[in-house]
Amino acid sequence: MTGASMTGADTTSDGMTGPPAGSPLSRFAWHCRNNPKRELWFAWYATVIFYIIFFVVFFPVTKAEPPPHPWWSDAQVAAWFQQNHHGLLIGFGIIFAVAGMTAPQNALIAYSMRRMSVSRAFAYSYLVMYSLSAVPGLLLLCVVLSVGAMQTGLDPAATHWLFDFAFLSYIGTMGVFLVGSLVWMLAILLDKNRVMPKWFGYLNLCNALTEVVVAPAWIFHTGVLAWNGLISWWVNMVVFGIYTGAFITLLRNLIRREDFGDGPLPDLPSKAAGGNAPHGNTPHGNTGAASLAGTAP
Amino acid sequence: MRRNDGELILLWTLPVLAVIWVSAFFLFPGFVHPMSPTMTAAQVAAFYRDPAHLSRIRYSMILFNWFSVALIPLLSLLVMQVRRMAHRTPILSYCLLGCTAGGPALFLIADLFWLLAAFQPGREPQLTLMFNDLAWMTFTVGVPFLIGQSLILALAIYIDRPDRPVFPRWVAHFNVLVAAALAPAAFTGLALSGPMAWNGLLPFWVKNIAIAVWIVVMGVMLGRNIYREHAANDAQPAAAAAVPA
Repeated sequence: MTGASMTGADTTSDGMTGPPAGSPLSRFAWHCRNNPKRELWFAWYATVIFYIIFFVVFFPVTKAEPPPHPWWSDAQVAAWFQQNHHGLLIGFGIIFAVAGMTAPQNALIAYSMRRMSVSRAFAYSYLVMYSLSAVPGLLLLCVVLSVGAMQTGLDPAATHWLFDFAFLSYIGTMGVFLVGSLVWMLAILLDKNRVMPKWFGYLNLCNALTEVVVAPAWIFHTGVLAWNGLISWWVNMVVFGIYTGAFITLLRNLIRREDFGDGPLPDLPSKAAGGNAPHGNTPHGNTGAASLAGTAP
Repeated sequence: MRRNDGELILLWTLPVLAVIWVSAFFLFPGFVHPMSPTMTAAQVAAFYRDPAHLSRIRYSMILFNWFSVALIPLLSLLVMQVRRMAHRTPILSYCLLGCTAGGPALFLIADLFWLLAAFQPGREPQLTLMFNDLAWMTFTVGVPFLIGQSLILALAIYIDRPDRPVFPRWVAHFNVLVAAALAPAAFTGLALSGPMAWNGLLPFWVKNIAIAVWIVVMGVMLGRNIYREHAANDAQPAAAAAVPA
């Protein structure tokens, strides 16, 4: 059974379905009702929207990134909280409202591993580790900086402790991202279903290594290894940016290629349409699968 | 013992847990008349130093520490229901699973801060104030995964098969409403008094009542489904026996 017929869309003789011509809104509504991959697209759009919100909140709104200096005095820290009072409270309020969107992202990445020819243990490990990571690696910073921003009557030494707590929990939460990236890397390198390209497996290793080089931020207050240093923050952020851009693109391709079988994933529809799919893979267990490959909103 | 007999045991822990949660809620003196974010360091320190309060703070937070994570089996039962829905992929049950630990984990961190404040009430009042603020903020803004799980559950129900749905459609609307009721709590840092403060109408009363109503409604709907599955399982062997081989 094809996804199209399962969802009740009108199908043509070859099983192809398509959105009606009309306004973007009516096409969007059609996809919400009929697109056989709508669950996967929901998770992908949630990922993209979350990262846009994350970027806007963390960089221009709260100015938590690039991070302020770890060597500041109590007075400088107090002044930073005062200057960013509204930005911190509005920005992190937005994060508290939308941080549940990290779940669809982790679920989609776990799904990519479920689609691979590896044990489900990889998908489950990643899902649990990255679900856990949101608390010390994201939300603690938001809570603690919100307390520092809202409570202006707090002693400067206590405010400084909140500042250290926030940035060290955020930048210094390493293991879940380190091991999580290695789990995804291993799954990609072992996979025979061509779900993700092998080079992205090695990019996971780069991402994992950034969690190694960030460890000295727990020790150094100044220099390239401090929490705002060239190595601990800037290199980390550049690699993370490239890594995130890569996996968002690759997950999009994965959804477009998905045939709901359990064998190797076909190539992207544009290549397959020309009849030159280099591997000529036939999806297993799903006769109508090819018709689903190109259904993207 | 059949497969979903165990689910029934997990389900029936819920009324017992509800009694414990409600008792712990009323035992904590800071919840009955929610503490204001405008309290000074001296007032907050006096609250924790009051002998009439100290034992109640400690015992209520120990109770919460023991049993707050007991919500996870209920959420896992909901994951099992989402798995029964007519979805193409298991991704929405993964999403829900990804949310299950987040809410209780954030509450557990708030609980630790309250217990820390009460551990050394003779501490410098500024430090007691800091732990108290950390506890109240973590407790109040700890809604992201609760909002996430309500909206994911709503989406899962909306795209379930309309002719034989696992949950009726109103449960999806109800979950959207609960998510909307929880959202103002995320912005509580912006107000120290009034309806948006952490002791105010929206972040305290509306949020906590929404969580309580959600647990009751989802518990009842879950119970209905699990008993139906149970009845179907009972009917199956009888039907199989009635058909000659």
